Amino acid sequence: MEAAIKALFLRQSGAGYLLLALVILSLALMAVEQTTRLLAPVRATLLTGLMPVTVIGESPYLLGRTASEAMATREQLQARNQELEAQFLSLSHLAQQYHVLRAENERLLALVESRARLPAEVMAAEIIGIVPRENTLQVIIDRGTQAGVTEGDPVIDARGLFGQVVEAGVYSSRVLLVTDKDHAVPVEVNRNGVRSIAGGTGRIDRMELEFVPVTTDIVVGDELVTSGLGGRFPRGYPVGTVTEVVVETNSSFARVTVAPAAELDRSRHVLVVFARDGQAAADGAQSGDAGSAPESGVADVPGERAATPEGGQ
Amino acid sequence: MNPTRGGWFIALSLFFALVLSVLHLPAWWPHWLAWLRPHWAIVFVFFWVLHVPGRMGLIWAWVFGLLLDVLLADPLGLNAAILATVTFVTWQLYERLRMYTLAQQCATVFLMVLGADLISGTVHFLMSGSELDPAFALSALTSGLVWPLVNALMSRLTIQFRVV
Repeated sequence: MEAAIKALFLRQSGAGYLLLALVILSLALMAVEQTTRLLAPVRATLLTGLMPVTVIGESPYLLGRTASEAMATREQLQARNQELEAQFLSLSHLAQQYHVLRAENERLLALVESRARLPAEVMAAEIIGIVPRENTLQVIIDRGTQAGVTEGDPVIDARGLFGQVVEAGVYSSRVLLVTDKDHAVPVEVNRNGVRSIAGGTGRIDRMELEFVPVTTDIVVGDELVTSGLGGRFPRGYPVGTVTEVVVETNSSFARVTVAPAAELDRSRHVLVVFARDGQAAADGAQSGDAGSAPESGVADVPGERAATPEGGQ
Repeated sequence: MNPTRGGWFIALSLFFALVLSVLHLPAWWPHWLAWLRPHWAIVFVFFWVLHVPGRMGLIWAWVFGLLLDVLLADPLGLNAAILATVTFVTWQLYERLRMYTLAQQCATVFLMVLGADLISGTVHFLMSGSELDPAFALSALTSGLVWPLVNALMSRLTIQFRVV
């Protein structure tokens, strides 16, 4: 009886073996991808081929934006215009000072025989898609290897550090945001140079400083910038502001919460920074694991000061 | 045997499923809507295997899953294995599943997506230590709920375009 029912409903064929083979192949793919970089070009090629899907998938969001822009009233536009003009004025004021300060800085750096930092090149890119997953914060930008983007390039927006390229296709790339929980960036406090690692939390609006001893001089309101240590991110880009310092009595580490400087959920336009001034090349060994906590290998616990100034190069 | 027809329509519907999987909703839509996104790929693969069992082979399902892996930035091979498994199970049982009432089919889709999410949650946990949010079951629930809609619409189109 059993056998008769089985014969009726279950087909005997080689499909089971084919499924087994495919599952084993999948497991092999996952294992290879987890341990080596061999599959990066495959993924990049497929991502390039899938660009139509990305673009169409993003279009409702873009149309929504365009619609709300088209419906903006004259008053709103005027207010926005005024705001931008004010911003422009204050920025050009800063820019004038910047040139003087930079020249002065270079002279001083030459005096102490330190290597002057080369200005990094940037390229504008637009976000054309997001990775719709709750457990990861990634976006897709419209520039790829054809425009010179490579894996590991830092990405910034108008306010600060945005993330880094983790996969470069031909015409598009995938960018891991700074607040993704697999992301970490070496930072220093602008006020006093205390160094730490800012790790993402998986929530788009907060990061946390890792392993900050309770005695460290970090207070609410401190601004954090990239420290340039680890070689992936150039020095001096704003990362975020400390919003909360919690000292728990049963822990020797303080819990420091940071609000990212970049407008991670609003920016459409970002800049890819080509940090190819030797800093990145010097640490090429690191580009091995872009996806999983890239900077954790060079954890720089505050208090253990490096002997050399200027990025330890 | 009749020659096969309507392959283009199957391909188009799967392309559509990919687009739905990455659809970015306008900013004014509530954020929690992201949790309710049905697993479109499984729903569509389930439909095709159920209605035209000969056309959606294991290898095609696997390749389709690979594309989904790239779009969702999942480990390469994860969704491929899941969709191949869905295809296999559905293909083994399609005569029985066709006899099911709509509610029972919905429950089947729900269970398949639930199983798939559990597997992918486990793989994510093993690979990067990220824990599975219990809200993942919502996606299985909505997948089950969209099934009657997808089924009705796609059945009609399947007849219209004479997919055999």
